[in-house]
Amino acid sequence: MKSDGDTTVIRASNITKRFGKTTAVDGVSFEVRRGETYGLLGPNGAGKTTTMRMMSGLSPITSGKLTVAGIDVSSQPREVRNVLGVVTQQDGLDTDLTARDNLIAYGFIAGLSPAQARRRADAVLMFFNLTEKSRDEIDSLSGGMKRRLAIARSFMTEPQVVVLDEPTTGLDPQGRNRVWQELETMKEAGVTVFMSTHYMEEAAALCDRLAVMHHGKILDQGAPDELVARRAGPEVALVRVANGVRKDVVNWIENQGFNCRDAGPVITVTASNGQRPDLSGLQGVRISYRPSNLEDVFLSMTGVTLTDDE
Amino acid sequence: MMATTYPSARVFGVRVRSVTGMWFHHALVFKRTWLTAMTWYFIEPFVILVAIGVGVGTLVNDVEGVPYAQFVTPGVIVGSAMFHSIFECSWGSFFRMQKGVYETVLTAPVSVREIAMGDMSWAMTRGIITAICITAVAAALGWVNSFSGIGLLLAAAMVGVQFGAVGLIFAALAPNVHTLSLTFTVVATPLYFFSGAFFPISILPDWVEPIAWAAPLTPAVHLARGFITADLGLSHLFSALYIIGLTALLFPIAAILLRRRLVK
Ligand SMILES: Nc1ncnc2c1ncn2[C@@H]1O[C@H](COP(=O)(O)OP(=O)(O)O)[C@@H](O)[C@H]1O
Ligand SMILES: [Mg+2]
Repeated sequence: MKSDGDTTVIRASNITKRFGKTTAVDGVSFEVRRGETYGLLGPNGAGKTTTMRMMSGLSPITSGKLTVAGIDVSSQPREVRNVLGVVTQQDGLDTDLTARDNLIAYGFIAGLSPAQARRRADAVLMFFNLTEKSRDEIDSLSGGMKRRLAIARSFMTEPQVVVLDEPTTGLDPQGRNRVWQELETMKEAGVTVFMSTHYMEEAAALCDRLAVMHHGKILDQGAPDELVARRAGPEVALVRVANGVRKDVVNWIENQGFNCRDAGPVITVTASNGQRPDLSGLQGVRISYRPSNLEDVFLSMTGVTLTDDE
Repeated sequence: MMATTYPSARVFGVRVRSVTGMWFHHALVFKRTWLTAMTWYFIEPFVILVAIGVGVGTLVNDVEGVPYAQFVTPGVIVGSAMFHSIFECSWGSFFRMQKGVYETVLTAPVSVREIAMGDMSWAMTRGIITAICITAVAAALGWVNSFSGIGLLLAAAMVGVQFGAVGLIFAALAPNVHTLSLTFTVVATPLYFFSGAFFPISILPDWVEPIAWAAPLTPAVHLARGFITADLGLSHLFSALYIIGLTALLFPIAAILLRRRLVK
């Protein structure tokens, strides 16, 4: 196997995916280093799943070049899957098998011997605190446990990179917390994780670096705090104003050169110069400040929120 | 974590482990459900065999020189193999597709064609299992008199593979689960009753005869009947070649349609 010579494990340059007239992924480039957790943050339809499917060789790339551990995905789609563990958006567990048998069946088809598959399944179940559930029916497991089991399955082959599509979507807060804990354990074990999410808390909590994705394009990438500092400043201002003067206030703020989003009960204001927006000239309104977050980054770049369904 | 590579043998570009892996997956499911599944493998065809063979058999004379029960046995066996196989690869495969099981399998170094082969290999196994069950009963009742009756398993295996491909085509084309019932109402059931299993093709109107002979289950019934009566000729060789030819035609279609559905 070729070594990249540096620590880069995943290298995507200018990858594009078209479905007929739809361009799902539009010339995206990024690099993921060994051992880091890299995230794609974007709303539904941003192109996250398509990017991950291309990476796992499940979806042919229209143009561009994508390599994982030096293996070209387009020319060696099978070989790539030897070094990847993939958790698809659907858990993809077979409800006709027990939890443990799901892992064993996967391990065997991936290339382990039956004895290796059984040993590995027990080790992986223990690692993800699922030993008690070994013999359980899939239908009797909670959503969070199914997700953890699907993650455990991706570990059957000791992958170099784990690809996780929306690891906690649809889970209750408790289930989400458990999954986050397991992902934290994975990080500590030194696994490279490539994940997608539309929860900014999740991206902030888990990702070392992330790409903000919208309409098939990467708008910016970097460490979460870096992105926040660059795009939204340390704090955003929340302006409460009577409806009568609302329009005037918005005009005033925009004339000052601030980003202004007039949605919901408050007007949210971010400064693009990396400072806290100075609204001291504004009279007759109530202003409060809160620390900026990734949601503000996304809003300031796209004008929509991560949970807006388009 | 250590990088591991898993060498795997290929035969004509087919990764062997993918096919045996799918088979193993099905065998694990079977291990958990075999007791209830046995009713389907065994009791249902047994009931048909006895009801028709003994019941109807007392009302009719020998057919083509054998008692009626013995006449229907080969058709019931390959018919049962057909139902098992088509069920496995239409309903079974459709649900595996819907539940994302195939998508998961494809995240291992497996191709869609290999998934199709794996499912068909299990369909073949189901055909053989049901053939063993019914052949044993028929033999105990004295309806299988010759060692060549073992050939029934071969006929059932061929039917299993052939209708596995048919089932996969339906699974790959079905927009929803309701459409799948067409595999039985439009394909399997008519084939079962017009395959020469229950009456000789020769009693059909002249213009229907060639159609009945071309129907996909008919050659298998003919072949199985040759084995059970230990009376094999060139026509049986043609039957076998017809089944193989049809399978060779259906399999690539199934693989292409399945690929179109799974890889986008
Ligand atoms: N198989 C497909 N055929 C046609 N369009 C698709 C297909 N898969 C995804 N798309 C489109 O590509 C875009 C990106 O989708 P997706 O990658 O699933 O986004 P995300 O995972 O970020 O929600 C969407 O507009 C979606 O409708
Ligand atoms: Mg998605």
